Amino acid sequence: MNNSLLSSIAALAALNACADDGAATPSGFDDQGILVDYADKVIIPTYQTLATRAQALSVAIATLKTNPTDANLRAARTAWEQTREPWELSEAHLFGPVSANGFDPAMDSWPVERNDLDAVLASNNALTSAFVRNLPETQKGFHTIEYLLWGQDANKIASALTSRELEYLDALATELVTVTMALTTSWTVGFNGAAPYRTVFVTAGTGSTAYPSAAAAAQEILVGMSAIANEVANGKIADPYDAHDPEKVESQFSFNSLIDFADNIRGIAAAYSGDATIAGAGQTGRGLDEFVASKAPALDIRFKQEIVDAIAAINAIPAPFRTAITTPSSYPLIEAAQAKIRIVQTTIDAELIPLVGQ
Amino acid sequence: MLRVRTIGWLACIWSGAACGDNELFSSAAGGDTTVDDRTSKAFTAPATNLSDQQLEQHLRGDQLFEAKFVTAPAPLHGGLGPLYNNTSCKLCHTNDGRGLPQISDGAAAQALVRVSLPTGIPSVPGGAVPVPELGTQLQNHAIFGLTPEVTVELAWVESVGAFADGAPYTLRRPLLRIARPNAASLPSDMRTSFRIAPAVFGLGLLEAIAQDDVLATADPNDSDGDGISGRANYVWSPTLQRTELGRFGWKANTATLDDQAGAAFANDMGVTSPFFAAGTDAPELAQADIAATSFYTATLAVPTRAPQSAAANRGSELFRKFACSGCHTPEQRSGAHPVSALANQTFAPFTDLLLHDMGPALADGRPDFLADGNEWRTPPLWGLGLVQTVLPGASYLHDGRARTIGEAIMWHGGEAARSSAMFAAAPARDREALLAFLATL
Repeated sequence: MNNSLLSSIAALAALNACADDGAATPSGFDDQGILVDYADKVIIPTYQTLATRAQALSVAIATLKTNPTDANLRAARTAWEQTREPWELSEAHLFGPVSANGFDPAMDSWPVERNDLDAVLASNNALTSAFVRNLPETQKGFHTIEYLLWGQDANKIASALTSRELEYLDALATELVTVTMALTTSWTVGFNGAAPYRTVFVTAGTGSTAYPSAAAAAQEILVGMSAIANEVANGKIADPYDAHDPEKVESQFSFNSLIDFADNIRGIAAAYSGDATIAGAGQTGRGLDEFVASKAPALDIRFKQEIVDAIAAINAIPAPFRTAITTPSSYPLIEAAQAKIRIVQTTIDAELIPLVGQ
Repeated sequence: MLRVRTIGWLACIWSGAACGDNELFSSAAGGDTTVDDRTSKAFTAPATNLSDQQLEQHLRGDQLFEAKFVTAPAPLHGGLGPLYNNTSCKLCHTNDGRGLPQISDGAAAQALVRVSLPTGIPSVPGGAVPVPELGTQLQNHAIFGLTPEVTVELAWVESVGAFADGAPYTLRRPLLRIARPNAASLPSDMRTSFRIAPAVFGLGLLEAIAQDDVLATADPNDSDGDGISGRANYVWSPTLQRTELGRFGWKANTATLDDQAGAAFANDMGVTSPFFAAGTDAPELAQADIAATSFYTATLAVPTRAPQSAAANRGSELFRKFACSGCHTPEQRSGAHPVSALANQTFAPFTDLLLHDMGPALADGRPDFLADGNEWRTPPLWGLGLVQTVLPGASYLHDGRARTIGEAIMWHGGEAARSSAMFAAAPARDREALLAFLATL
């Protein structure tokens, strides 16, 4: 939540208020190159990696369907985990087409709709990707695939997979590929007749329909970073931990929750540095860190350390997270991780956003 | 009935007023709730003046607003359906803003259709008359194994026009094709009204405006002869079990945010609660859950306005000159409210919360309580300049027919016909100035 930073920014807004030239307002941040690299070296490569790995998942599931061995089940699970990584990294930039076109809910909705999933599996409906596309979001995407691959207690074996489950998995994976490719396309060439979102973003201050200044786009980068830090500390960790309820844990079937959380924070690092190397995309760009370092070098160094500390604190929680939230000896470690992530968020809200201006 | 409030003594601390000649408003967009955020998350922040306890209640509501509901029994968020429009609040109110005019797109549907009959017995005192077997809202989704009550297909019909200076524009209006399963017939006199999901921030401030202040600007018989009437809707409140001033919804058919939240859970998702129960079964949400959800929407901050430019400043003058401010009342004050953060605020929503005849082109022909088939409630304009940031490709007006704000203005008829005519007659430079002003909201 952004409460803490507001009064400090209000003063800045008032100072900037009276540009009298009818053009975009002058601002602290005016480096279009950083915006271009953010689109070209972080967002688009991360989405491309997501699409590539979703295709690999689809292939692994097709293999599992043809030959349902435990080895092929393990391979499908690994492919799921590898597809999950770029998605969690990308949650540091949940703006633009990913929310506008329903891609996020189509991929990442939970809880899993177990009653209707059972009913679909028991039905005679042909389990095509077109059929699953029209199902509610809670019956498709990452978490329904996860539920089917691992089972409720992570002890599923290949021989327990029914042929209907395998068909359904196959259709879900195919649909996931479709969605990840459309997401990539929405940034690179445009989706459903809309302009490529890359153009909307990098033309901030020079005709963009969404961002009246380069600083406004830089704020979008920072607010995206802040929002995922908030979501991890105060949502993904706090909701299940405060209730000590494993059913409120995301990625609870695969025991992947802590990796999800750490990848979310690594996504903050990627967004800040302009480097998608950690997304497996091998891209290095100029990031906001360059801007911050030029204005407040100590802040840049401290913030990078805060990110490292937050990831380390998440990694210190004993896996799986769904067990940790009901194990009193893990509570201090969970709370320590929340505290470290909140430090990251506070720095973004109270120091980085004001530095960028509007 | 020009009702511009100028509070001259207020210090010019905020962007618009700081530039000197803006007479429309002097307050922060959302008073003390205002958040300094002009990004895609601008509608999602809690009011900045909440106490710790209020923030906790807000965050509890946030969880419910975001929750995706599934069929019961379920370990988490059970109770979806059997009929529904979507499975969570947020799936239609994207980033707490509006939704797209999509309805025939499977799981991506973000809009809905209200229906009624012209005569018969209303389901609540004074309300719309339900259609047998369909009620007053069409649910085009059902849990697996059941057939949705209708299918709805949406097409757009285009028409062309030109501004006085010859610049052309294109408008579009929706054409719905509604069908029941097994070719069952629909009543020939069924009224239909297609609506997108509206934004949900700042609603507590609108709820906190004193009723007398709303009624003070009503002029049902246009006794001042300015062509603008403004009528209050009075509607049944299921939560309060009495008739109250309507404030929310495209036709002001909802009195309180508790009513709004309870009705949306029940009608849009099929999730029942004590005042919105489908029958004798135990409610799927407690009233405390409904209250937390309405508290969430009540206490979402209003984003600050963008810095003013010279063009935008001129546009704000045109906003008054074209009498846009005759209905889109720039400033309002809140009175007492149980949530202290919302009480006694001055803010700039650009609405009078009243019903206005918007002419035949926009009419849905579906009365709702006292609102007739031509009338719509003036929607707030705060956040208007952020719509494309929050939801790229979003559109405007009750059914999302307007792809740009300019198109939305050109659809204004009836009491607003003079305003849209002045806009159409204005030189391009003035039209752009008005749009530049609206983009700062």
